[in-house]
Amino acid sequence: MKTEQAKDLAASAVNRALGAGASYAEARVQSTWERQFVLKNGEPQPSFFAEGYGIGIRVISGGALGFAATNDMSRGAVNEIARKAVRLAKASAGVLKKPIVLDGSKPAKKTWAPPEKERVENADATWLRKVLLDIEGRIADGRAGVNLPGRLLFLGAELELRHYVNSDGARVDGRLPRVGFFGSLTGAEGGAMAQRFIQQGETGGLEVVRRVKLVEKVEEEAKVMGKILRTASKSPTDTLDVVLSPELSGIAAHESVGHPQEADRVLGREGAQAGESYLKAESLGRKIGSLEANVSDDPTLVNSNGFVPVDDEGVEAKKRFLIKDGIINEFLQNRTTAKEFGLSSNGAARSVAFDREPIIRMSNTFVEPGDYSTEELLKEVRHGVFFKTFTEWNIDDKRLNQRYVALEAYLIEQGELKGLVKSPVLEITTPKLWGSVKARSKHMEFEAAVCGKGDPQQGAPVWTGGPETLLAGIKLGAR
Amino acid sequence: MRGLDLDDLNDGAVAAASKLGADDAVALSARGADSMIRFANNSVSVVNRVEEAELTVYLAKDKRRAIASTSNLDRAAVKKFVGDLYASLKGLPESEYVPLPDRAVKYAPSRLSYDRKLEDLDDELPGLAKSAIESALSSGGKRSAGVINAGKGTISILTSNGTVGTDSRTAITLNIRSFAEKEASGHGLSCASSLAGFDPEEAGRRAGEGAKKMKDASEPEAGKYQVLLSPTVASNLVETVAGAASAFSVDAGTSYLAEKVGKKVAAPGFSLTDHGVAEGGLGGRVFDDEGVRTRSNKVIDGGVLRGYLHNLTTAKKWKTQSTGNAGFVQPHAWNLEVGKGDSTYEEMVKEMKRGIILTSNWYTRFNNYRTGEFSTVPRDGAYLVEGGKVVKSLKGMRAGDDLQRLFSSVTLLSKQREWIQWWEVDTPTFCPWILVDGVNITRAYG
Repeated sequence: MKTEQAKDLAASAVNRALGAGASYAEARVQSTWERQFVLKNGEPQPSFFAEGYGIGIRVISGGALGFAATNDMSRGAVNEIARKAVRLAKASAGVLKKPIVLDGSKPAKKTWAPPEKERVENADATWLRKVLLDIEGRIADGRAGVNLPGRLLFLGAELELRHYVNSDGARVDGRLPRVGFFGSLTGAEGGAMAQRFIQQGETGGLEVVRRVKLVEKVEEEAKVMGKILRTASKSPTDTLDVVLSPELSGIAAHESVGHPQEADRVLGREGAQAGESYLKAESLGRKIGSLEANVSDDPTLVNSNGFVPVDDEGVEAKKRFLIKDGIINEFLQNRTTAKEFGLSSNGAARSVAFDREPIIRMSNTFVEPGDYSTEELLKEVRHGVFFKTFTEWNIDDKRLNQRYVALEAYLIEQGELKGLVKSPVLEITTPKLWGSVKARSKHMEFEAAVCGKGDPQQGAPVWTGGPETLLAGIKLGAR
Repeated sequence: MRGLDLDDLNDGAVAAASKLGADDAVALSARGADSMIRFANNSVSVVNRVEEAELTVYLAKDKRRAIASTSNLDRAAVKKFVGDLYASLKGLPESEYVPLPDRAVKYAPSRLSYDRKLEDLDDELPGLAKSAIESALSSGGKRSAGVINAGKGTISILTSNGTVGTDSRTAITLNIRSFAEKEASGHGLSCASSLAGFDPEEAGRRAGEGAKKMKDASEPEAGKYQVLLSPTVASNLVETVAGAASAFSVDAGTSYLAEKVGKKVAAPGFSLTDHGVAEGGLGGRVFDDEGVRTRSNKVIDGGVLRGYLHNLTTAKKWKTQSTGNAGFVQPHAWNLEVGKGDSTYEEMVKEMKRGIILTSNWYTRFNNYRTGEFSTVPRDGAYLVEGGKVVKSLKGMRAGDDLQRLFSSVTLLSKQREWIQWWEVDTPTFCPWILVDGVNITRAYG
């Protein structure tokens, strides 16, 4: 769709909604382009590509929120769907107890795009396949030192173009290229089996594959799986110290800090789906962890998988300090929740497609780095387990009781990494986890993930990450 | 999408593909209109209306295959789209290829799951939401959150071999969760393909009563328990069994059902069938993506794995016939049915010496799909049963097992079954209460 046509339709939709009685209106024209290739045990699957566009219109009318979307981009259809959004909002007034009010955030006027060296549109099936064959060539037929009877490799390139306007004066154009990989490796040796899911992704062009060292990373994961299958011994299950790798620090930050600090969950809006939060509105300022517990969410990180410099309510996004020195410092806010809290939005509203309403989302959530080198941090541990990667994980819907089962994990004795141990289980409450943080390394890494939330579901690309994080005095289990 | 003719769209796409010289072409065009009302704290939070149409095209030439979808449905744009897709085939390697069936089939639509009253329910949704909220309030839930989804979908197919057909579905679902004091919550669902089968008051009542019962919940001791799975919880786990029954999962190393056809994978009383179309089924259609007629496939019968779900490609590899479950890449289930038992809910509770009733769950995650090891997190109503009687409410636990052991330990199934489809269950599933022995229950160590 041509840019001028998108701008014209978006402006027309906003005007039509206001004319129909909306007190606020916004429109987002979003197009997507996607190329994907899959290898299953070395066999190419049919290649896939998709392209599409549409418009989503959100309004406030009579204090109620209405959202409507269509991919019929004729002027008549767009205007009709704008009127429908207003009519539906008005009609719901009988079930409205509390009117929706937006904060007074400054409307952004901005055009944005992340750095992109090799345009993502150059990702054709030949290129995608070549990358996957490079990986396959290093791990098939035992070449990584392990029998991998199950190898499922996906590589995709995508581009989102957004044009956003609202009746408060925001005008935003964004270009969001992204390259993402997902791999499932199933290893089997001597009657033992193990499975590893690997996800990598960043915003940018085709250079992402080299930047994340994708081929080398998958090969290394395969090699490690062989060692796990051959050498991992029983994990200790006593009370000891636990070192979380960047991967484990990241998932813990995402699940037990980012999610419960989404203000819409705190206020109950996601109650029937993703759930609420163990935190309440008055929890801001509450102590939840040790002085070493510091967790942030930053949508402005260049190259990140969750790069969103301006959110989908037309507010410039910024870094949020979620837990600072063990204190609940900040929630993720959109314009509605910020108004309820008497604050300003911190730009956390995201939508993954034109036909989805913007809701509060994380971007790149991580434990802040500390002062230790990784070696110095390990030296602090007399008896412990290093959780390097994980498989199974879950958490309750209040975000209080979580579980992480390690795949790659090592015994630590007297400050030194010893052998691999099998499937240690960290099953722990959120206050206990963050209250046990004793030290953090300065070595940071990030993993790509897709965060699920909303109804209909919206899978949002994010990063999770952090340094090595030392937890003191933890009771472990084992699978 | 006024004026959009799905058959014309398919004609244009397949004609363009044939002219270019494709060996096989399939055009699937779909149109949907969905309405939604969401509420939280007894107040509407948003109303949604989405009207969309999409064309998906599959092409094969010289064993090279590609699939693409577009929402740009202008006639000239479709011609260019098919041309671009065809051109892209040249850069592809040969892949596992099976030609489309020679025989052309003309499909008449199934009318098993279509209700004209659900075609446009926009004006009724606020009233239906209100009745669910008020029912929950009068049953003990102080505040409720939830969503009603109602919609219709139509899909048409045309293949280069002349197979043609159209099918339509309607569905309405309510997911309501009520909260009483502190963390006490209860859950209710109503899922139907017709307005007559939709009961928001009953779902609200279940949610409200559940919340009320959970007021003084405590954490259980970790250990092995008999567990009575509600249709909601059981459907969540059954869906993972159906995923493992896809031949694609078996090939990819992500199925615990690998190498088990003809073998016992569940207790003798457990059966699982997938239906392309089913009376009251919220999903499915009469043809699959490859134009093969969908049917009822017994996946597990009397506890024995009868076979996998196939498309044409996986069927050739496994030297069998397509089961009508394409997905061009991955075969998948349409509507699942778990066979009923002969117990009432009350009789099942009486059978429990020391067990736990679970009414809802979420966040089922696998340690290893190949071995079937998983854990899931119960939420909302959960009750400890001792000597056949409910003695208290429970919270703060996790259930872990492996699928083969769990379904092999089924001891009773209820006569009563319900259709389930919600946030945690994508594939509509007609499911009873299921009693299982020896499920591992854990809680946080600290």
